Amino acid sequence: MDTMKKYFYVIKTQIIKSLTYEFNVYGNIIMQTIIMITSAYFWRALYKDRGMVGDVDVDSMLTYVILSSLLSVLFITNVERRIEMSVEKGTVATDMMKPINVFGVYFAEDIGNIIALALQNMLPILLIGSLMIRVPVMKDIHDLPFFIISVVQSFLINWLVAALFGMIAFSAVNIDALIQVKKHLLRLLSGSIIPIWFFPGSISKILGALPFVYIYQLPVSIYIGKVDRAQQLGQLGIQFIWLVILSVIFLHAQNRVTSKVMIQGG
Amino acid sequence: MGKAFRELIHYMDVTAQVIKMAFMTIIEYPSNIAGWLISNPLQFIMGFAIIRFVVESFGQINGWNYGQLAFLYGLSVISHALSMIVFVQGWFMGYYVIEGEFDRYLTRPLGVLYQFFFTNINVIGVTDLIPGILVFIYGCVKCGISVNLLFVVKVLIILTGATLIRGGIYILLGSTSFHTRSYVDFGQYTQEIIDKTTMYPLSMYPESLQFILTYLIPVGWISFYPVSDLLGMNGDLNGVIIPFITLGVGILMMVIAGLYFNFGLKKYESAGN
Repeated sequence: MDTMKKYFYVIKTQIIKSLTYEFNVYGNIIMQTIIMITSAYFWRALYKDRGMVGDVDVDSMLTYVILSSLLSVLFITNVERRIEMSVEKGTVATDMMKPINVFGVYFAEDIGNIIALALQNMLPILLIGSLMIRVPVMKDIHDLPFFIISVVQSFLINWLVAALFGMIAFSAVNIDALIQVKKHLLRLLSGSIIPIWFFPGSISKILGALPFVYIYQLPVSIYIGKVDRAQQLGQLGIQFIWLVILSVIFLHAQNRVTSKVMIQGG
Repeated sequence: MGKAFRELIHYMDVTAQVIKMAFMTIIEYPSNIAGWLISNPLQFIMGFAIIRFVVESFGQINGWNYGQLAFLYGLSVISHALSMIVFVQGWFMGYYVIEGEFDRYLTRPLGVLYQFFFTNINVIGVTDLIPGILVFIYGCVKCGISVNLLFVVKVLIILTGATLIRGGIYILLGSTSFHTRSYVDFGQYTQEIIDKTTMYPLSMYPESLQFILTYLIPVGWISFYPVSDLLGMNGDLNGVIIPFITLGVGILMMVIAGLYFNFGLKKYESAGN
């Protein structure tokens, strides 16, 4: 319980930190809203005079856009930059001496950040989206538990992928470029810009085997009712398997980098 | 006249030295070069692929076929790459304001804006340029364009203008940091918005949005209008003048951005006090 308390302190401090810069918040909301609205116009224009494309109609696609914008707030991670900074500046050694798991701290910081963002960004984006695009109603409310499970799992997958990329900093020191690689991969392969059901069959099959699709596309597809119950359960299963695989890799990598830092420290 | 000329020579001399240094710095982290070599082309291969998939699912986009879209995208990516090489620092201006990094520039006998951009010149942006050129060539071939001197000159003028428009937007957004005193990295968002609005024909969007993107935030001039002209997509506008409008808009954006930057710089306080 005592350890949990320490993490709660980290979360609390991070929330306060994130709330400090007001302009950042407004700026981010405005930018994200513009992106959301342009995407909505984009899909509207594409769907003009067309009913269903890829088994999805325009209304579902607009809901997809809003949901994906909301989720993108949830999937903001700072862990990779955080690791990079502390490796570059050498503070990682002192971080590791603290009586609390350093990656736990990074996770708690990201959680704190997201709690702050959820209040400040998600609500306004949802409001503006509902007013200017459409009210993103869930197709079938009975899917709600599955939706929530998938969001939690995708949040964790997303964080683990970010943390694993961040850990490369222990050997490469500067990982700016790799962070970009990760970002681009995630943007395209997760269906956050364009759902992969618009991709050619063979490519979307391959992507279905990778973890990325389970970050954005699965929760949103459940929300808009694109997949039926059986498919949902199957995909949630694959999502869970990826979560387990990534956790195992993460724990293994964590031990390796920790021992490496210890050796460097003498 | 002689003095201005000497000054110009001096600036060019400094620029050459700075570029040499930039090369030295990038080879400091070999893994990073490898990363950029993968990351930047990857981004554009993906963009290119997305356009392909969209066209395959939806057919022509507002009367534009795949080849024409590739042409549009290629030109847009090239100007993006050029703006990345010279103006990408604008994205990180907030950091320089907060950390008091402008002190160094203010004490030197060169223009602050010049130093800010050129002493941090981003040679690695070349990795954006190559995929851009490839996509553009692909587009040219697909559209059956006969490359002649006029075409090359037009494209060069358009690229100069488009790069200046992008740079102007980065500087304008970056300069807000002087007033907000916060470290905001709007770069990623800006790029996403500009990408979305330059990748596809502007004419597919509603009139209100078209108006904004033509007159208020002149993103339309980066690729859509000049490319429509090069491909002969719109009959009502006179051809030769269009590249010059892009160039003019670019210069105007730069002037506004420069003024706003200098206005902001007056409010700048060093980290010391």
